[in-house]
Amino acid sequence: MKRVVVDPVTRIEGHLRVEIKLDEATGKVEDALSSGTAWRGLEVVVKDRDPRDIWAFVQRICGVCTGMHAISSLRAVEDALGIEIPKNANSIRNIMLSCQNVHDHLVHFYHLHALDWVSPVAALKADPKATGDLQNAVLDKYSLPLAGPMDFNFNAYPKEFPKATTAYYKTVQDKIKKIVENGQLGIFSAQWWDHPDYEVLPPEVHLLAVAHYLNMLDRQRDIVVPHVIFGGKNPHPHFIVGGMPCAISMNDMNAPINTERLAAVDASINATIDMVNSFYVPDVLAIGELYVKKGYVDGGGLAKERVLGFGDFPDEPYSGIANGEYHKKLLLRCDGVVENFGQGLDKAVYHELSAQDITDPAVLAEGVDHSWYSYPEKGKDLHPWEGDTEPQFTGPKEGTKTQWKYLDENAKYSWLKTPKWKGKTAEVGPLARYIIVYTKVKKGVIQPTWVEKMVVDQIEAVSKVLSVPPEVWLPTTVGRTAARALETQLNAYISKYFFDKLIKNIRSGDTSTANTEKWDPKTWPEQARGVGLTEAPRGALSHWIVIKDGKAANYQAVVPTTWNACPRDSQGVHGAYEACMIDTKVKVADKPLEILKAVRSFDPCLACSTH
Amino acid sequence: MERGHSKQYYVFSPFLRIFHWLMVLSIVTLFTTGLYIGDPFFIGSQGLEPTYAVTGRLSMEIMRFIHFAAAYIFTVSFILRAYGFWRNKGDRLFPHFWKKQYYEDLLDVFLHYTFIKSSHKPCLRNPLARASYVALYFMVFIEIITGFAMYTMIKPNSWGAKIYGPVNQLLGDEYTVHIIHHYVAWLIILFAIVHVYMAARADFMDREGEISSMFSGVKFLPHEPVDIGDITDGKDSSVRDRKHSITG
Amino acid sequence: MDGKDSLWGLFQQRGLSRRSFLKVCMTITGILGLSPAMLPKVVSAAEQNPLPVVVWLHGHECTGCDESFIRSQSPLASDVLLNMISLEYSDTLSAAAGEPFEHHLEEVMKRYEGKYLLAVEGGVSTGNEGTFCMVGGKPFVAALKEAARGAAAVLEIGSCAAWGGVQAAKPNPTNTVAVHTVVSGKPIIKIPGCPPIPEVLTGVVMHYAMFGQLPPVDSQGRPKQFYGNRIHDTCYRRPFFNSGMFAEQFDDAGSKAGWCLYKLGCRGPETYNSCGNLRWWNGLSYPIQSGHGCIGCSSNGFWDNDHFYDRMPGIPVAKTITNADTIGLVVGGAAVAGVAAHGALSVLQKSKRRSGEHEEVGGPKA
Ligand code: HEM
Ligand code: HEM
Ligand code: NFV
Ligand code: SF4
Ligand code: SF4
Ligand code: F3S
Ligand SMILES: [Mg+2]
Repeated sequence: MKRVVVDPVTRIEGHLRVEIKLDEATGKVEDALSSGTAWRGLEVVVKDRDPRDIWAFVQRICGVCTGMHAISSLRAVEDALGIEIPKNANSIRNIMLSCQNVHDHLVHFYHLHALDWVSPVAALKADPKATGDLQNAVLDKYSLPLAGPMDFNFNAYPKEFPKATTAYYKTVQDKIKKIVENGQLGIFSAQWWDHPDYEVLPPEVHLLAVAHYLNMLDRQRDIVVPHVIFGGKNPHPHFIVGGMPCAISMNDMNAPINTERLAAVDASINATIDMVNSFYVPDVLAIGELYVKKGYVDGGGLAKERVLGFGDFPDEPYSGIANGEYHKKLLLRCDGVVENFGQGLDKAVYHELSAQDITDPAVLAEGVDHSWYSYPEKGKDLHPWEGDTEPQFTGPKEGTKTQWKYLDENAKYSWLKTPKWKGKTAEVGPLARYIIVYTKVKKGVIQPTWVEKMVVDQIEAVSKVLSVPPEVWLPTTVGRTAARALETQLNAYISKYFFDKLIKNIRSGDTSTANTEKWDPKTWPEQARGVGLTEAPRGALSHWIVIKDGKAANYQAVVPTTWNACPRDSQGVHGAYEACMIDTKVKVADKPLEILKAVRSFDPCLACSTH
Repeated sequence: MERGHSKQYYVFSPFLRIFHWLMVLSIVTLFTTGLYIGDPFFIGSQGLEPTYAVTGRLSMEIMRFIHFAAAYIFTVSFILRAYGFWRNKGDRLFPHFWKKQYYEDLLDVFLHYTFIKSSHKPCLRNPLARASYVALYFMVFIEIITGFAMYTMIKPNSWGAKIYGPVNQLLGDEYTVHIIHHYVAWLIILFAIVHVYMAARADFMDREGEISSMFSGVKFLPHEPVDIGDITDGKDSSVRDRKHSITG
Repeated sequence: MDGKDSLWGLFQQRGLSRRSFLKVCMTITGILGLSPAMLPKVVSAAEQNPLPVVVWLHGHECTGCDESFIRSQSPLASDVLLNMISLEYSDTLSAAAGEPFEHHLEEVMKRYEGKYLLAVEGGVSTGNEGTFCMVGGKPFVAALKEAARGAAAVLEIGSCAAWGGVQAAKPNPTNTVAVHTVVSGKPIIKIPGCPPIPEVLTGVVMHYAMFGQLPPVDSQGRPKQFYGNRIHDTCYRRPFFNSGMFAEQFDDAGSKAGWCLYKLGCRGPETYNSCGNLRWWNGLSYPIQSGHGCIGCSSNGFWDNDHFYDRMPGIPVAKTITNADTIGLVVGGAAVAGVAAHGALSVLQKSKRRSGEHEEVGGPKA
């Protein structure tokens, strides 16, 4: 038995450490530990502050999923104060949410995750001409010809297409060659490029993906143009409680939003759709198919047992969240819990997760048995409205406080809390959302919206490409990566859908973007509490606020990566990261690439998780 | 009236007096324009084009211009004050913080103002007033350095910015500087309210020519003031019988 | 430097002409806000200087600064990463992880001792011996000090590194400080902003890549070319400010007409950044243009200058919130009333004194 530590885990956000106990003979992971090693205390920082300012503080929980925490916070404050935002603000926020999802996912795949699958070193062996041919084949075979409603489609032709020429791939290959020959690999240094997994794909796929890594590095900035238009910048666009600050006027070039600004948003959404359709989705499916065909269907872990979602994209404004109104307006109803999807759709069990449920301490709570926090009552989990953030660092099992060797899986070992649904851990994220929507639609729990229909169509189309049923390919490392790509395509069309909706509403004469009736704290109740839900790129996100005398008396965030990367519970039941590592085979003990690939398939965000 | 047997004391140089009235004018101007700057409102007809809105009417630009002009007048008038300080003893009536006597006199004045004693010792300038002027000069100093710290940074490479810019770092950040400037402005106005009252009251109570002293430079006291030493130096050139003409 | 090429070298390798090289130098000169007279210097810098090695560390941060960095358009992030610098260590972008990655860092620090550029994103947690921020099983503060020792210069990337950032806002539970609080004896340059504008980040790196030294800084250690002006003094809404035309509420007529956001708490008058002139996405927009005031995200301590929507901070008084002017008016009114009352009492006192004087000839005694 060998104990292997990887710290820092890189190409993620924040400070993550993993430790595994490995049976070297069989490559089996006997136990795994995931630890968030930094805590910033933002829940403590926002206490006693003006609820109208908090979005800006908690937005800085993360610059990668930027905007997510801001919107969750706004929703929580608006829920507490009973503010209904105008239609335009709802559409604009949904555009910002969906374009953020697209951006976050695309950058994750190409710039954080890709180097687990492809290697610039392997790309040197590729034939540039064959790579050009491969590019055409990939586009032919793996493009998913699915689309959402697009009422205002002024895009004359797709603007973003991959190059498929020999010259292009030769140029890229030459550049890589130069870097490798110089012996100075820069960001490509010190990786286990000799790991056997890099041989799963032919050299041409490596070259193609590395070329797209560079191409998308230059293009990704254009995906978040809506943030820059509506929120003034990215990362960390600006918002306001009650709606959006970007007033609309068709009479004024000085207006934050006018025709020219909307045209810029439109161009960005169009380009985004093209980027996703002609780069991201085909690339992922091409790689994914080769992996699945070679039997790489491990890394599922908790996804097979339990996934959870809150739902998002309210089609219309709603009067509240805790009162259940939010849930009635959603386009993406992945609210709920699905158990045992790994055993097939028939055996899968769907549990409702209503607004009433999430406000019930028996249903939703966070524990700190293995977290570096202390709770008022030992062993008793707390609902986030009663939540508490009091650090209690206890040090490692071996080593010293400031020089760790191994962390202690039997004691506290992480700055993440352990969020639980009915006392159980659950996986969240694109994969969870896809499993839940698919299960709900297939079991007839819901009549699908266009968004949900597209989810099911995508899953079925991919199952056909891979020629295996969803329960086999979805709850795996490849499936998690594929679900993210599919969701990116979906979100690109959601942006378009809400853009259309915004235009139609402005055309009807409504230019309102903010409801300022309750701007003044004098209009607030002495005491109120609210919850803000979103489906962030990495999964179900909730912010919880208790307002007293115009200030935040308590503030808690329960974050997707906290759900996934949490330490085990008091019974030793693992969170999703730990479970997926245990579900993964390792070929070379001191080069656990498979483990990192599995963990990275969640798109870890540790700044988010500990906040 | 009882003025018959009072003596005339020459206290304030013309430099101080000119400065004082310039200061009165500029502080009132600075305060009113400053408050407008802090919470402006639109004066004039409401058009969508700023160019039309601004012409000939009061606006932020004009208010700020007046504020800055007054600030310059104010700052420059200090030169007069400084000159008076150098030339004339009566311009140097500072609180003698280091003397025990000062605190005894202070208590005496305090008891009078709280109506416990019907009068206080005669002074050219009572110890409480002395302290309050030092406090005011301190506040005014804060206003000037914080004001110029904000003002000069319009041109961050100018020599003014080199002198005053560091104030922003010293006090944390420029937002804090603006807050301090605003709060201290109110403190100055509170001083002014009490000060004007005190001057009027002193005139009314003791008929010592308090208010007119800021015009004429002389005060009339029936009893020899306890702080006579601050202006006489033994030569007595600044103390005259009141029937004599006023010089200086 | 170990086969590292200059920018001109790279152009030659790619078979690109001298003319196109000069054109790039001209663009660079423009981007950096240098006068055309500087062009020969830019050219010679680009011809001779080898690509600098960069080590990028992460402390208490949100990675928004990395995200901003890769959004740069001129220069493009790919060009910076592949042709202007050699990024040898970055949690976010580097392929490697764990022990080999840490080993690589040690090698780099040895090999390029005194020559590498240390970029630090994030504040430095010093609470509880630095255990609120651990990297590779060691406190970040220790790793930082070690990496700083051999650095040629240190870049404080973003407001977290430059000032402490959001986690250092009150009550600063992790006791986080700015990088320069724990690192000294090196040229340190601040690139504040939460995050900084992409082109500001890459602009500083580019300056270093070309001239082999940090750009000229102001008294606070920020590059003058990017932080020289207040947003207020470069803001396109300034004419409205001057005319006294202000948005009074979000979404009112003034907001729709793009009037000045001063009364909605805009911090532009106190904030030094390029948002007013360079803007985000090469001139596309910036927070004020989108209708929200500047929150001062590049200023020291701006987090504790909340509430963000008032020009004067609110003062909590018995369950409601008021401000300095209201308090000033109340206290001023009280002062007027006070002196009036005092005056009345004085009149009384004087008449008492007068009647007393008749008996007690000789006037008041000392
Ligand atoms: C020589 C000294 C002074 C200078 C250079 C000066 C300069 C300034 C400047 C630059 C501003 C900010 C204007 C803006 O935001 O555009 C300002 C605001 C203001 N000033 Fe002065 N000032 C001076 C003295 C005073 C004095 C003596 C007072 C009052 C007694 C005063 C009262 C104010 C007030 C109330 C504001 C508004 C504060 C705010 O909310 O921003 N100033 N002054
Ligand atoms: C109508 C209004 C005012 C009158 C009648 C008045 C009168 C006087 C008088 C009589 C003195 C001499 C006090 C003494 O030493 O016994 C004096 C001194 C002084 N006053 Fe005023 N004052 C007026 C307004 C103000 C205002 C608005 C300010 C500033 C906010 C001000 C600031 C001062 C200062 C600083 C001194 C001390 C002069 C020095 O020694 O440098 N005064 N004033
Ligand atoms: N986990 C997480 Fe986030 C996301 N997605 C937020 O809620 O990444 Ni930074
Ligand atoms: S400065 Fe702002 S954007 Fe940069 S890391 Fe800190 S919080 Fe994130
Ligand atoms: S919007 Fe802000 S920065 Fe622009 S002029 Fe108004 S106060 Fe100044
Ligand atoms: S909030 Fe920051 S991005 Fe610019 S406009 Fe203000 S400095
Ligand atoms: Mg939390």
